[in-house]
Amino acid sequence: MKSVSELTDFYYNNLFPTLQKLENSRKSLRHRIIFVAIALTALIGVIAYSLKNYYDFIIFIYIALGALLYKFMIKDYTHEFKMSVIKPLVHAIDKSLLYSSETHVSEYLFEHSKLFTSPDRMSGNDYVKGQIDGINIQFSDIHAQKKNQNSKGKDSWSTIFQGLFIVADFNKHFNGETVVLPDTAQSTFGDIIGHWLQSNNASRDELVKMDDPKFEKEFVVYSTDQIEARYILSHSLMKKLLDFKHKSEHPVYISFIGTHIYMAISYNKDLFEPSVFHSLLDYKVAMEYVKTLHLAIGVVEELKLNQKLWSKV
Amino acid sequence: MSVSLIILIVIALVLVLMYNSLVSKKNQVENIFSSVDTVLKKRYDLIPNLVASVSKYMEHEKSLLEKVTQLRSEANKPNLSDGEKISLDAKISSALGSIMVAVENYPELKANENVMHLQHTLHEVEEQISAARRAYNQSVTDYNNAIEMIPTSFMASLMNYKRKDVFEIVEAERKNVNVKELFS
Repeated sequence: MKSVSELTDFYYNNLFPTLQKLENSRKSLRHRIIFVAIALTALIGVIAYSLKNYYDFIIFIYIALGALLYKFMIKDYTHEFKMSVIKPLVHAIDKSLLYSSETHVSEYLFEHSKLFTSPDRMSGNDYVKGQIDGINIQFSDIHAQKKNQNSKGKDSWSTIFQGLFIVADFNKHFNGETVVLPDTAQSTFGDIIGHWLQSNNASRDELVKMDDPKFEKEFVVYSTDQIEARYILSHSLMKKLLDFKHKSEHPVYISFIGTHIYMAISYNKDLFEPSVFHSLLDYKVAMEYVKTLHLAIGVVEELKLNQKLWSKV
Repeated sequence: MSVSLIILIVIALVLVLMYNSLVSKKNQVENIFSSVDTVLKKRYDLIPNLVASVSKYMEHEKSLLEKVTQLRSEANKPNLSDGEKISLDAKISSALGSIMVAVENYPELKANENVMHLQHTLHEVEEQISAARRAYNQSVTDYNNAIEMIPTSFMASLMNYKRKDVFEIVEAERKNVNVKELFS
């Protein structure tokens, strides 16, 4: 697989003509957005001034209309960006991968991962699917939300998870369910109380204490089977997962269910979206696209999922 | 209700909780040890097959093969204590390890499909054993902690609970492979 620096080269060299064209449309788009924003603000201001009432309703209209207009205006630009930048980048990593800018990993798989509570609303985009070294892998951007009702009966939406969701074949056979979550209790409440809280987590299976202190510090493991959890999480895999977590620089959720490994990396923002107010040629902007893609597709190599064991043919 | 009665009830409750937690820890150790036993047995079952397929070629390692066979029959005896099983497992691990190293000296064996398959199965079983061992060690550590730490230590001594042994990594496994030795 190509390295991050090779991909960055590809971004700047092969994609440069397209990027320049996109950069021009980005600049004019930015001007249009600023113009529309000013016009809308002025219009709403005039309405508010003449009505002198219904302020909260007007603010609501202002925000809703603004968001709608913004979405509508960047739609073409976004589509062009994804087709001429993200798609070639994915193909530069591996030609056989399929990319779709509109779909996402199915809700069934998301719920099946047992990583999060089941969402009431799920959206996502930038779906990539294919085989790397004979291992099936798919991932996409996911935004899962839950509906909350407050005492007045008003609905509000809270985010369960937003970020990258990866599903890949796993190279060992197992029957139980093992879930690895970021360790929040132990780092907030200390070892003793944290452990006690974790072992009494009613919504999860049995707590599994791992014998790698560094891993145990970052993650907490729940499983239906104490031995199987350790069979899956060998010393070498624990080390690789730790490295992966440090590389991603974001909270990582992992589960092993059925024949799959599920990984959710919480970025708390929509990924692979074109920047409107920063240059596409900006190094930081470019690096984010390249690094995130490399991280997701590199999972197979990083975790050595392609080294199949004898028993799994 | 008098204060002393309440205190009495609280003390009784604490004692019951301590008792129950100790019993559950002891049962967890036993439960996991039975799983360890199952995977160990899986490995013992592979030994006759392995010995049969390599003995034709391995003239110089006859004693090693005999030793493994003998260890296996010992391990299959009924009524072994947990400690004996643990020490037998350590011996078999190191003996099997030496056989696997010896196989490397015989090109015919290395190419033999049957041996290759056995080698992979053995490797897979070793991984399962390693997982079971780690689970067992963790449960024993929890148990040992409980019977040595205050306040459960008082209860444990009344119940006559004793420390249990953990599986130790075989010395040969821990040592780095000496490449020079392999070539000499």
